[in-house]
Amino acid sequence: MAISRRGMLKAAGAAGIACGVDGFLSVPGLRGLAFAEEPAARPLLVVLHLRGGCDGLNLVSPANDKDFVAARASELRVADSGSDAGHPLARGPAKGIDFRLHSAAKGLAELYDSGHLAFVHAAGLTAETRSHFVAIDMIERGIADTAGLGRTSSGWLARHLAALGASSPVGAVSTAPGLSGEFLSWPGAVSVSDLNGGFGAPGGAQGDNVLHRLYAADAATGDVGAAGRTALAAMRLLDGRLARDAQNKVVPYAPAEGVTYDPAGELARPLKTVAQLAKMDVGLEVATVDLGGWDTHEGQQGRFRACVDRLSTGLAAFWNDMAPFHDRLIVLVQGEFGRRLRSNRSGGTDHGRAGVIAVLGGRVAGGRIYGPWPGLATEKLDEGVDLAVTTDYRRVVTEVLAQRTGAATPPELFPGYKYPGPLGLFHADGNIVRRS
Amino acid sequence: MERPVNIVSALGRAGYGPTPEEAARVGRIGWPAWVGEQLAPDEAADADCRDRLAQLRLRIHYNASEKWPAVDETRPLSLLDKPIEQAWPLFTRRAETDGAERRRPREEVIAATILRAVHSRWQLREALVSFWHDHFNVDAYGNEAVAVALPSYDRDVIRRHCLGNFREFIEAVAASAAMQYYLSNRSSRAGAANENYARELFELHTLGREAYLNDRYDRWRDVPGALKGTPAGYIDQDIYEAARALTGWTIEDGSRIDGGRQLPETGRFAYVEAWHDGYQKRVLGVEFQPFRKPLADGRQVLDLVAKHPATAKSVCTKLCRRFVGDEFSAALLAAAVDAWTRNRAAPDQIARVVRTILLSPDFVDARGAKVRRPLNLVAAFARGTGIDLTPTEPLWNELANAGQRLFGWQAPTGLPDDRGSFLGAQALRRRWALVLGVAENWWGTGAFVPASAFGGTAMPRDAVARYLAALQGTVDETAAAAILAGLGWPPDVPVGEPGKPETGKRLARVAAFCGMAPSFQTA
Repeated sequence: MAISRRGMLKAAGAAGIACGVDGFLSVPGLRGLAFAEEPAARPLLVVLHLRGGCDGLNLVSPANDKDFVAARASELRVADSGSDAGHPLARGPAKGIDFRLHSAAKGLAELYDSGHLAFVHAAGLTAETRSHFVAIDMIERGIADTAGLGRTSSGWLARHLAALGASSPVGAVSTAPGLSGEFLSWPGAVSVSDLNGGFGAPGGAQGDNVLHRLYAADAATGDVGAAGRTALAAMRLLDGRLARDAQNKVVPYAPAEGVTYDPAGELARPLKTVAQLAKMDVGLEVATVDLGGWDTHEGQQGRFRACVDRLSTGLAAFWNDMAPFHDRLIVLVQGEFGRRLRSNRSGGTDHGRAGVIAVLGGRVAGGRIYGPWPGLATEKLDEGVDLAVTTDYRRVVTEVLAQRTGAATPPELFPGYKYPGPLGLFHADGNIVRRS
Repeated sequence: MERPVNIVSALGRAGYGPTPEEAARVGRIGWPAWVGEQLAPDEAADADCRDRLAQLRLRIHYNASEKWPAVDETRPLSLLDKPIEQAWPLFTRRAETDGAERRRPREEVIAATILRAVHSRWQLREALVSFWHDHFNVDAYGNEAVAVALPSYDRDVIRRHCLGNFREFIEAVAASAAMQYYLSNRSSRAGAANENYARELFELHTLGREAYLNDRYDRWRDVPGALKGTPAGYIDQDIYEAARALTGWTIEDGSRIDGGRQLPETGRFAYVEAWHDGYQKRVLGVEFQPFRKPLADGRQVLDLVAKHPATAKSVCTKLCRRFVGDEFSAALLAAAVDAWTRNRAAPDQIARVVRTILLSPDFVDARGAKVRRPLNLVAAFARGTGIDLTPTEPLWNELANAGQRLFGWQAPTGLPDDRGSFLGAQALRRRWALVLGVAENWWGTGAFVPASAFGGTAMPRDAVARYLAALQGTVDETAAAAILAGLGWPPDVPVGEPGKPETGKRLARVAAFCGMAPSFQTA
């Protein structure tokens, strides 16, 4: 079912989508809405945050690197032999180094081997920070300097959506209760954690009626009024599309046959919600998903394994559930930073610098680790302690957004950033190579 | 001339909203007198709240196993006034009890927190307890030790110091089982210290991220003031050194020290010399001599961060944001910082800063500047409409769905405090449902009794005006017109006969719609 242009305009108007974002590309009112370009034609972008700072060196280990072996406790490295050996990754970034994926990441290994998943190693934020919250703020706004935090109050997804003139009331969805910072200053972003209880107004038709009057544009001003209208527009659209049984109860979402999300733990619900929204055809463009638990200062071995298992089984289930949409799907997986090369005596690792970024999608030129590998010799480390950043995270994001928009020139959404060109993360159109 | 304070807004920000009696009382004694009373809370003078806590029962149920029988009963709260060593075996002997027993300490604190928000006479203290639980956040859902330690953390750390002295406060936090487990300092050892707690001590608890000058990470002498021993901020090297200083600070949790020694299992603080890194250190430009007496290194770190000017600015900024909103004047912040600094050694340092903020013109002018958090919304709705609210587990699950999982925020930042964070679509939908659910008693929290607060006729027009006035002090005519039109009931015909259940249900709905009004979402 397609949304009528009229319904869309109404919904967009109700959501108050007509904004300039930080003086970037402003949307001149509703005239700017891009109806010529069907939003569904753009790939759905899912941004998955590994909250807490994922230890990229423990997810994708340079298993036989002598500096790595010397500095790291063995239980926080992926083994290259024995019963718990990690999955060997073909086409790594450095000759002679055996890059291995964590042994709990069976699903990711299959996606890598089938050519849909790529890693970018030694990637991250170029700014010198080991603070979760400074790093998250910078990455979500798409900047890499402290001064920029004062100048840039919008998120990079907000600027991307403004440039596109995205218009659906559920075009930008955060599956966490709060909105992710990439949506800062995008008035149309909504949080939707799950739809199993329906998404209508409390109090039925009477509640719906009262709320629409209480939050009408002439009755409610300011941010609360605008937020109420955004919520009500999303509620009407989504609740109206949900399948219901004979008793008018919402039918819970059923993933594709044979797909189960359950082993993914806390990642199951948000990924299921994204898959459900994608299949409802409501104009979903971008969604954010959080997976926490990566801040492994203590007892990393078991906790990290559990996190990797959730990530791997979750992404594999999502991939299988989204089978009809693979060519219109990009999943970008990133944490705020990697972790310290040398482990601490709590059996954990402290905050570090570069980590690993993963990109999954039907058009991804996967099965390969991208980015220059700086090495782990002391003189190659950042401050002598951490894997150095050799690929700016904005390079990966720019390449992903260029793939979304299909534009000949990549979008300039990052203030002060000079894009050095694509890493080659995506196959050119009509040139998709599949290995099985 | 002094500007008059808006009582509904003031009590909504300095507490959990007015009851009709409380609003009248503030009108009688005046705002400064109310603030003065609240800053010196006397537990003995709040028998009503104490009795309610004593009478509260929470259900607990779990299945039998080989080691224990099945349980399904309602139980009074039993851990709130017990020392930590009585609760701690729930964690250290976890094989001997069902998980529901280990969750119980957390649930008791959640229930008590909701009950006090609605019923405590000491509303300002409850607001500050909430502030400091956010500031010194621990996640009692992520770690069973934190859940078991939560009653002690709430009582012996947060409540004990919430109006007190900041330097004493941070040592109580540093030594608590809840924080030692949450930020893993308890396992930090000389050799390669665990930086988790030390980093958040600087970044979140004290100096704040504005003072993180890490572009000078390897040039500590270049930090302004560093060579005089008064650096303007901190760098990673300060974190590394502070982490070393705090090695050996741990918890009596049965850990093995060496072949012949083991810590007892009490959950109390311990200092283990064998785990401490005794060599010389440099923190914030100050040299520490090697091998000083026990605890001296850690305590000096706490001294240095507590007295740092960036700490005054960072914590006072957060206090201003909590009570006044996202925007406030430089003059207010300067006054708060001044009160903080002048009273650095005072036992009531924090109370004096809070007084400065609450009696400022900024506070008076900030009507509507704070978006109510879900618990504030529920409590203010119950207090305003006279619902005798009792906490239940389904209620706190709904608060979590609306964005406020009490004692369950994973990141050490604590629940955000800005306007935008509670205005997402899902959160708004859930908060509207929260108000309706409390009014219609979906979660067993207490019946809506229209006559108790209002009596009178049951005409929609009249009821809308009464409930809006009860919740907001004045009648928001725009909201009144919207509700009346949306209800679809003739405005001047009674919704039912007085005393009939159906009449009460309809009035509850009217009250709920008043609680959904945009103007009630803020205070």
